[in-house]
Amino acid sequence: MTWLIWRQHRTEVCVLGLLVGIFGIALLVLGTQAHDLFPGGPARCAGEAGVNEACAASFRRLDEQYGYVENLLAAFYLVPVVIGAFLGAPLLARELEDGTWQLAWTQAVPRMRWLAAKLAALAGVTVALTGTFTAVLTWFRQPFDAWEGRFQYDAFDVQGLVPVAYALFAFGVATAAGAILRRSLPAFGVAFGAFLAARMPVALLARPAYATPLTTTEPVAVGGSTDQAGPVPSFADWTIEHGYADATGRRLSSTEYHELEDAANRAGTNLNQFLHARDIQQFGVYHPADRFWTFQLIEAALFVAVAAVLIGVVVWRVRRRMI
Amino acid sequence: MFVFRLDTHSGVPPYLQLVQQVRQAVLLGFLQPGDRLPLIREVVEDLAINPNTVAKAYRQMEQENLVTGRPGQGTFVNEQQSAAMSPSTYTSLRRGLTTWLRRAYAAGLDEQAVDALFTSVHQQTRNEEVA
Amino acid sequence: MTATEFALRTDGLGKRYRKGWALRDCTLALPAGGVIALVGPNGAGKTTLLRMVVGLLAPSTGTVEVLGHDVTASTPQTLSRVGFLAQDHPLYKRFTVAEMLRFGRACNLRFDQGLAERRLAKLGIPLDRRAGTLSGGQQAQVALALALAKRPDLLVLDEPVASLDPLARHEFLQVLMGAVAEGGVTVLFSSHVVHELERVCDHLVVLNRGRVTLTGDIDTLLAEHRLLVGPRTATDPDRAGAVVAAVHSDRHTTLLVRDGALPAAPGWQARPVALEDLVLAYLRRPSEPSTAVTSGVAA
Repeated sequence: MTWLIWRQHRTEVCVLGLLVGIFGIALLVLGTQAHDLFPGGPARCAGEAGVNEACAASFRRLDEQYGYVENLLAAFYLVPVVIGAFLGAPLLARELEDGTWQLAWTQAVPRMRWLAAKLAALAGVTVALTGTFTAVLTWFRQPFDAWEGRFQYDAFDVQGLVPVAYALFAFGVATAAGAILRRSLPAFGVAFGAFLAARMPVALLARPAYATPLTTTEPVAVGGSTDQAGPVPSFADWTIEHGYADATGRRLSSTEYHELEDAANRAGTNLNQFLHARDIQQFGVYHPADRFWTFQLIEAALFVAVAAVLIGVVVWRVRRRMI
Repeated sequence: MFVFRLDTHSGVPPYLQLVQQVRQAVLLGFLQPGDRLPLIREVVEDLAINPNTVAKAYRQMEQENLVTGRPGQGTFVNEQQSAAMSPSTYTSLRRGLTTWLRRAYAAGLDEQAVDALFTSVHQQTRNEEVA
Repeated sequence: MTATEFALRTDGLGKRYRKGWALRDCTLALPAGGVIALVGPNGAGKTTLLRMVVGLLAPSTGTVEVLGHDVTASTPQTLSRVGFLAQDHPLYKRFTVAEMLRFGRACNLRFDQGLAERRLAKLGIPLDRRAGTLSGGQQAQVALALALAKRPDLLVLDEPVASLDPLARHEFLQVLMGAVAEGGVTVLFSSHVVHELERVCDHLVVLNRGRVTLTGDIDTLLAEHRLLVGPRTATDPDRAGAVVAAVHSDRHTTLLVRDGALPAAPGWQARPVALEDLVLAYLRRPSEPSTAVTSGVAA
C-alpha cells in the first residue's frame, strides 16, 4: 500500500514539497538578515523593553527593508489551504473520475483498509508540510511580532497551530467534496471556497468570543495625547474595542463624544483637561497576549473537528458502499 | 495440423460445426486415420471459442467413433469401419450431383432456388427416414 | 448440487437508487466452471448486478453468494477469489505496465506475476509503456492479465469487448477463452450485443428493465424452445401458456414456444430457433415478475 500511495500521489507531494522548500529557504535567508537587525534577539525589544533608541532604530530598518515581505506574507494564510485541498481533492475524486475505484476496491485489500491507509498517509503529509512551513514562518515573524504582537490577522493566522488545522480542514472538505462531486478540480475549488467562507465569520465573530475579554477603565489623564484613545496595557494584547465612558461607566456614543469635543473647542480648553474635569474615563476591551495559545488551541480544535466530521462522512459512505 | 473454422451466421450450433468439419474432412480424405486433431486449448485460442463447446464437439466425435482421445497425447482420427465412401463412390456421387445441378440451371433455377430445393428435399428425406 | 458448486447465487437481490429500482427480485444460481453471459439492453441493470456480485455496491435487498461465500464481508480472502474487469478497463493511466503489475502484486494475497508477464510478452505489450499511451485493445489486455494473475475462481467482466475494434475483440476473447480452457475459473460477463454469444458462452441470463426474464444453460434453452409456423390464428390454443412470442403475417402465424419436444399440432411446422432470435424475443417481451424462467442446472 505504501508504494501504491506514493506512486499515485508523488506528483502532488513533490510539487508541494518543492514549493514549501523554496519558500522556506527564501524565508530562512531573509529571516536571518531580519533577525540580524536585532543584536540581542527580537525578544529583547518586545514590549516595554523595546522603548529605547536601539530597538526603535532596529524596528525602523526592519520596516524599511522587510516590510514588503511581511505584507506579502499576509496572503500566506492560504498556503496551508492549498496544501490540504491539493492533497485531499484527488484522494477519492481521481479514482471516481477515471473509474479506477472499481480496480482498487476489487483487489484483496478491503476498501476500508485502503481508505484508512490513504487518509492517514495524505493527512500526515498535509500536517508535515504545513507544520514545516508554519514553523519557518513563525520564526520569520518573530521580529515583527515583537513590534505588533501575535493577535493581528496576519500573525495569528499564519503561525502556531491554526495553519495546520486550516490545512486539515481543507483536506477534509476536499476529500468529502471529491467523494460527492467525483471530480478533482471542482473538489479543490469547493475546499478553497469553503475555507474562505468559514474563515471570515470565524476570525471576525467567533475568535473574539473564545473567552470573555477583559475591560480596563481609567480616568482621562490630563497630559495624555488626544489622538490615541484606549489605555490598553500592552502592545501585544488584542484590543477588541476602546472608547470613552462617563463617570458612571456608561459608554459614550461617538455623537456624544463629538459633542464633548465641540464643547471643549467652544470653551477653548484643552480636550483632555475638559474630559478630565467631567470625570470622563477611557476604557479598553481586550484579550491579553498570554491567551494566544488558548485561542490557537480553540480555533485549531474548531477546524480539526469540522475536518473530522467530514472525513467521518466519507468513511461512512465508503463503508456503506454508497459510492 | 487440421484447422477449424467457425461460421457465426450459419445458425448451426458451433459445436456441431466443428463435428461436421471433421466428418467432412474424413469423408473427403483431408484427415487420414491416425492424424492428430488440435488440442482443445489450441482450438480455443485460435477461434476465441468457449472451451466447453470444443470439449463437447470432441466428446460427440468420440461417441460417433470418429476419433479417439488418448490422455496426455491428444485426439486421433480413427480407422473408419464404415469407410463408407470409396474413391469411386465419391467420384460417381459427385458426377451425379453435377449433372443434376447443370439440369437445374438449364431449367432456369438460380442459385437460391437450387439451395431451397435441395434443402427442402434433403429435410423431407431425412424426416421420412426418422419416421 | 451443493452451494459451493454454484459460482454465484443471488436471492431476491435488488438495488434501489433515488430514481427507482435498477434491479429487482433477482434470484440466480449459476454453475461453476462455465462461461455465463449476462445479456440485456443498455440500462437493464447489468452493471448494477455485476457491481453487487463483486462487492462494489451494497444490495438494497437480498443476498449474493460467490462460491458459497457472502461477498458483503469483503475480507481479503473473499476479495481474492473474485476478479473484476470494469467497463472501459480502467487502469492507472500514468502507471507503466510494469507498475500496474506491481500494483497487482502489492494489493493481492496471491498474484502470479510471471503469468501476467508471459501473457503480456506473448501479446507484444511492452512493460515500460505508460498504460494511458496503449491502444484500447492493449489496455483491455493489461486489465485482463491483471485480473487473471489474481487466479480468481470467478472472473466478472462488464461489457469487456464493447469498446474494442473487431480484431482487438477477437484477441481479447482468445485470451479469455484460453484462460477458461486452463480451468479453474468461472467467467461471468455482460454484453448488450447478442451476436456471437453462442460461440463464447454456455449459460445465459437475460436481463430486461431490472428483472431477469430468462436464465439457463444454452443447449437446454435451445432444446426447449422452437418456432411453430402455421395458419394464422390469434394464438395456438393448446399452448397459450408456452407461447413466448407470436408474429402474424396475412396467412401465417409464427410462434416461439417453450414446450420441450411436444409433437407439433396438425398443420403446424416446427423449426429450431437460433439463440439470437430467442434472446431478442425475450427482450421484446413486456417484463412481469412471473415471466422469469429458469432452466438447465437449476431446474
